[in-house]
Amino acid sequence: MSATEKEIKTVSAADQSFWANVKRQFKKNKLAVYSLRFIYVLIFIAVFADFIANEKPIACKYNNAVYFPLLKSYSVDLGFSNWQPEFQNVTWKDLEYEWVVFPLVPYLPKNMDAYNSQSVSPFAEQEVKSTRWKHWLGTDELGHDILAAMIHGTRISLQVGLISQGIAAFIGILLGALAGYYGDDRLKISRGRLILNIIALFLAFFYGFGSRSYILGDAIGISFGKFFVELLISFVLMTLIFVLANLLAVALKAIPFFKQKVNIAVDIIVSRMVEIMVSIPTLFLSIAIVAIAKPSIILVMAIIGMTTWTGIARFIRAELLKVRNLEFIESAHALGFSEMRTLFRHAIPNALSPVLIAIAFGIAAAILIESTLSFLGIGVPAETLTWGSVLSAARQSPTAWWLAIFPGFAIFLTVTVYNLVGEGLTDALDPRQKK
Amino acid sequence: MLQYLLKRLLIFIPTIIVISLLMFILSANAPGDPVELMLNKNSGNEGQSSQKLSTEKAYNELRHKLGFDLPLFYFSFTNSTSSDTLHRIPKKAHRENLDRLSSNYGNWSDVAAYYESLRSFENSVFAIERNNSNAIAMNGVKERITDLYKTYEDPKVALYFSDIEKICAGTPGLAASISSFKKTKEAYTAMLKNQNAYAKYIPAIHVYGFENQYHRWITNFVKGDFGISYRDKRPVWSVLKDALRWTILLSTISIFLAYILAIPIGVMSAVKKGTMQERATTTTLFILYSLPSFWIATILIIYFCGGDYFDWFPAFGLGTLPPDAPFAERFMETAYHLILPIFCLSYGSLAYISRQMRGGMLNVIGQDYIRTARAKGLEDKKVVWKHAFRNSLLPILTLFANIFPAAISGSFVIEFIFSIPGMGMTSLGALNARDYPIVFTAVMFTAILTLVGTLVADMLYAAVDPRISYSNKK
Repeated sequence: MSATEKEIKTVSAADQSFWANVKRQFKKNKLAVYSLRFIYVLIFIAVFADFIANEKPIACKYNNAVYFPLLKSYSVDLGFSNWQPEFQNVTWKDLEYEWVVFPLVPYLPKNMDAYNSQSVSPFAEQEVKSTRWKHWLGTDELGHDILAAMIHGTRISLQVGLISQGIAAFIGILLGALAGYYGDDRLKISRGRLILNIIALFLAFFYGFGSRSYILGDAIGISFGKFFVELLISFVLMTLIFVLANLLAVALKAIPFFKQKVNIAVDIIVSRMVEIMVSIPTLFLSIAIVAIAKPSIILVMAIIGMTTWTGIARFIRAELLKVRNLEFIESAHALGFSEMRTLFRHAIPNALSPVLIAIAFGIAAAILIESTLSFLGIGVPAETLTWGSVLSAARQSPTAWWLAIFPGFAIFLTVTVYNLVGEGLTDALDPRQKK
Repeated sequence: MLQYLLKRLLIFIPTIIVISLLMFILSANAPGDPVELMLNKNSGNEGQSSQKLSTEKAYNELRHKLGFDLPLFYFSFTNSTSSDTLHRIPKKAHRENLDRLSSNYGNWSDVAAYYESLRSFENSVFAIERNNSNAIAMNGVKERITDLYKTYEDPKVALYFSDIEKICAGTPGLAASISSFKKTKEAYTAMLKNQNAYAKYIPAIHVYGFENQYHRWITNFVKGDFGISYRDKRPVWSVLKDALRWTILLSTISIFLAYILAIPIGVMSAVKKGTMQERATTTTLFILYSLPSFWIATILIIYFCGGDYFDWFPAFGLGTLPPDAPFAERFMETAYHLILPIFCLSYGSLAYISRQMRGGMLNVIGQDYIRTARAKGLEDKKVVWKHAFRNSLLPILTLFANIFPAAISGSFVIEFIFSIPGMGMTSLGALNARDYPIVFTAVMFTAILTLVGTLVADMLYAAVDPRISYSNKK
């Protein structure tokens, strides 16, 4: 690099935006950069798991017609179309195709290879048609293909990490921001609004969940989609109740008693909530809830999310305590922006960076909790194979080292990679490191 | 300081109430009927009238003794269809079905009438003398009645009704109960006719006062009476005491080992920062920290406990020596069984503590007073151990907060893998068997100890570092 080039670089570095600066700092940490790339690979595997490991061919010619069974399975699952009669209840690998393209791993985790049950080692002789059908990572007691289970397990672990931390971030950012921005003495609302909102809270709970509990309970038994729709209806109902209450509050302002402002100590309330959450033994609680309720992966995600938001809330609270006294917030007030707009458009976006760190570590922790739960055999339905449940199968057949090594290594690597990215972010975002 | 301590202690109260409520809600919504669990059988389907009466009586007595005939909580916030006397219905399955029926049809008095008529029909069937000609038919009717108690869907109920009708018509021996069956059917149609679809959208609050299950449980807990285990009917405390022995033994050794090794490792890796040796240690520690202990435990069992490889250690349990064996022998046996679990429990915290120690030490070593100490010619050892080490202990102190709860709750996974009958394994087993008194007590103890642990850590912090003072805090 010539001297002039270097000069240009340093000049442009000086007026770089905050995020460009963070990116530059992050890139200095080679380990973190490689970890991030590895996460991209994991995301790729998770997204395209169906195309990497599946029992259905990607494309095939059968009875003089070309089919794309894998793509079609999506539309069948969604209820848009039905299988052709010749494909109903078939064993895909036994059909006589004219030509066929199978996915890289021609198995689904749920497929049980009867010829290769009783835990066949990857190095042992396997009873398969050809090398194309070999179980590269062996099979378990029931003949499940371990490689297919690992690939689809990637999807589950990534889902658990992202969704649980999404929930945690939502709760944590909201509560932490309210606590940090308003503190103990800045949130003043009229007495009427306070009373109405408390009433609305009870009513919203009642109409959203109380009177709909059987509808919701039945829906979760049918399918996730149905449950999600019902849940959405519940949330819409709750929002409507709150909107109504706040509209009514405007009208109530005509009465002097209800117009009087009261102070709400948000910070104290939120800090107490955080303290309570922290002292609850999380793993114990998750195990208790999951053991009692019907096993489902969604529940596991929700519980992890609802018990790990405290870290995020603490981070954002501390950040907003600083941000709220800065000039740009003052000028937003001076320009007459509403409190909500100042908080959500100006204050929170400028305090989000430390949350990223918490989320990166949070994903690692969530994946670890999920695999621990699966290992203990609770939470995830028995027919779903996850990294943790494959690992626990190794306990039943102690000679099958491949059941322990591969899924355990996958858990270890994924958790480590997220932790490394978290550390990289910590260093990159730390203002003390900036030169 | 005292004020701060009092304030913190006051915060304990809402925290503990919230945790106890959480656990209580969980147990109240759990499937399964604890009374039946304790009686070890489903009461009242087989046999004669007198037998049914005696099992029902046993059920009701036990239910009363355990306090399950009380309302759940001080008040309930439900819709106007549910009755405030529902908790008096004995069986949990019946209660749930009745609640569902009243929610569907919105008319509690009709639902209750239907339930009563169904009960009297059941009693009339049980009153009939059982003989060879009607035994099969009678069992069929009884089965349908048991199902009816748990059914709320209209088509299914209609199906059961028509089944019973058919059986009764074909068996003259059951003629005596036909009239009460008709009454049941009438009550059911009346319930359908008088339904009120909007009643479930009207909120209702019932107040029950202090005579409720939660109040009874929490006051007993405060008094030190933790209840009786549903499974083996022993007092919870004696079950947990046995488990605690093993957990405390395991945790004390592993925590002690972790600290003893971690502190010098952390200090050395901070002092020798930049050398190859240090980098190797730091990397190893990071890897150790990220290795899931359940994976390592599984691998250790596969490779070192029989299987196809080395047979060096026992895979699980604590040995089979009788309790009257000589102490030295028992000690050796137990120690032999505990080597692997202790290793698995301690390597993670070893890595974590030494990383913290290293961080704390690095912070201190860059300070001016360390440079001054070096500049005045103090020997390296003294600088490190006398000046730097003491001041870098602060982050380690906060870790102390985790010790109490960890020591009590034990490691679920490690105890599970190695089948050690400690707290983790006991609570896991209790959870699977829905033995809530045990689960409750274990969770409450862990939570309380977490609270105490954090408080102790904060107090230690202030005691060690004179710059930290809680009394000046606003």
